[in-house]
Amino acid sequence: MILDIYKDALEYSAQDWIKLVILGVMCLFSFLLIPAFLITGYNYRVINTAVHGIINGRDSLPEFDDLVSMFVDGIKVVIVEIAYLIVPMIIFLVFALISSQLTGAASSGLMIIGCLITFIVVVAACLMSQMALCHMAYNDGAFSKAFALSEIKKAIDEIGWFECIATYLGLIIITLVISIVVTAIIGLIFTAFGISGAALGADPSGVFVLGAFINSAVAMFIVGPYLSIFNARSIGLLYSMQA
Amino acid sequence: MASITDCVVEGLKYPFNDIKKLLGCGVLFALMSVLSLGFSLKSFGIFKASVDVMEKTNSHFSALQFSQLPTGDIYITIAIAIISFIVALFIMGYQYDIVKFSIDKKQELPGFDDILGMFIKGVKYFIVTLAYNIIPILVLAAGIALLQDSSAILVIVFIAMILFIIAFFLLIMALNNMIAHDDIRKAFDFREIIGNIANLGRGKYIGIVIFTLIVYMIIMAATSFILSLLSMAFVAAISNQAVWVSAFIAIIEGLFIDSYGALFYNRVCGSIYRESIK
Repeated sequence: MILDIYKDALEYSAQDWIKLVILGVMCLFSFLLIPAFLITGYNYRVINTAVHGIINGRDSLPEFDDLVSMFVDGIKVVIVEIAYLIVPMIIFLVFALISSQLTGAASSGLMIIGCLITFIVVVAACLMSQMALCHMAYNDGAFSKAFALSEIKKAIDEIGWFECIATYLGLIIITLVISIVVTAIIGLIFTAFGISGAALGADPSGVFVLGAFINSAVAMFIVGPYLSIFNARSIGLLYSMQA
Repeated sequence: MASITDCVVEGLKYPFNDIKKLLGCGVLFALMSVLSLGFSLKSFGIFKASVDVMEKTNSHFSALQFSQLPTGDIYITIAIAIISFIVALFIMGYQYDIVKFSIDKKQELPGFDDILGMFIKGVKYFIVTLAYNIIPILVLAAGIALLQDSSAILVIVFIAMILFIIAFFLLIMALNNMIAHDDIRKAFDFREIIGNIANLGRGKYIGIVIFTLIVYMIIMAATSFILSLLSMAFVAAISNQAVWVSAFIAIIEGLFIDSYGALFYNRVCGSIYRESIK
């Protein structure tokens, strides 16, 4: 079942590379603040399509129409994520404050325990916030539903905590692997160019600079948007799996 | 309506319904920003002149004679302050109309034909705003005037802050209530105002107002960032004309950004009222 989600999401994100490039351009201009929210709003639309769809259900990528509501959706997504991440931050701060009052082994021991607990809570909070976004999208974007903790917990119970955490960890691994592999391949190609050029007596530094430039361009315009759509789609499909 | 945030989406789109009237409102805001620029320039000049006099005569500020100060500049500054207050009243009157149109669910933007009516509405809007903020202002002023002790002042400032926030949340609904019934007494009908808020749900009301403010702040931050880039480009291109560059930027900001923000905000306020009386 989990593998089906990944397969569907991988195919889904590869449908239309023009949309990936549009997202990449938004990412390039995200220092102007508004495009950054448009990107999160687009991911919210992907989630919205996924929670109302089924696995292997021939959905197409959302359009870039109605930018204003996309922008507002993006702000909602950011607020929900910040609200969920405040909890682990507070826990971490409490541990840091207490351990700064202690001395010696007690201080460092408490800090290690605090870091472990914070890490666990961060993973839980990320999972919960993604599920909260799905729950919000499923309920037509009602903001209060993103914080209806008991309903979200019920949804995760129905899917199964193990499946949720496994899918989530799998997503992180796939994301890392894809980005590392792509970077490594482009890097290798340009290293080969550079070395063969150097063997022929040319200055290889220009080739390496070009390689680094192309690498960041591919990461920004193709791989980054691809992976973000992939993640959003997978989480949305995971939510739609509840019985 | 599926979600209350749809009000915000609608409000963001609303100013684009009639670009001409948006710019008409923008002219008022541009006038306002140019006036405030002139005000700060002139008052800075007065400050500088009085410091010069103080250095020359080696006396304290309170010992200065009025005739020692640049009197002409002071009269100009006062005149600028009065004119900008009047312009602000017109702006408030226009905001009154926007809320009215929003409550009536009209899609078009209000016109500028009834200048006198706009002024009267502006005065009403101003009086209600002042009345709601008078208690925290008095608390703050009394606290600062009476207590010289530093720790007690902090407590007073904190209390005043909370009072300001409460007044702000009540004020929105009070203005809406006044505008919907077109009666200034309705702005102080606390039972109806609190009833309206309770009807929508207190948490929902506070949430939607805060959400609107967040959207407003993001738009303002983004546009002011772009404007600061623009003014940096101007300053790099044109040397020794800082006043003209800042006047130009102030006009652009008033013409497009401030007017858009005000239209957006008041439209959403009206929509909140419409949701609350359902």
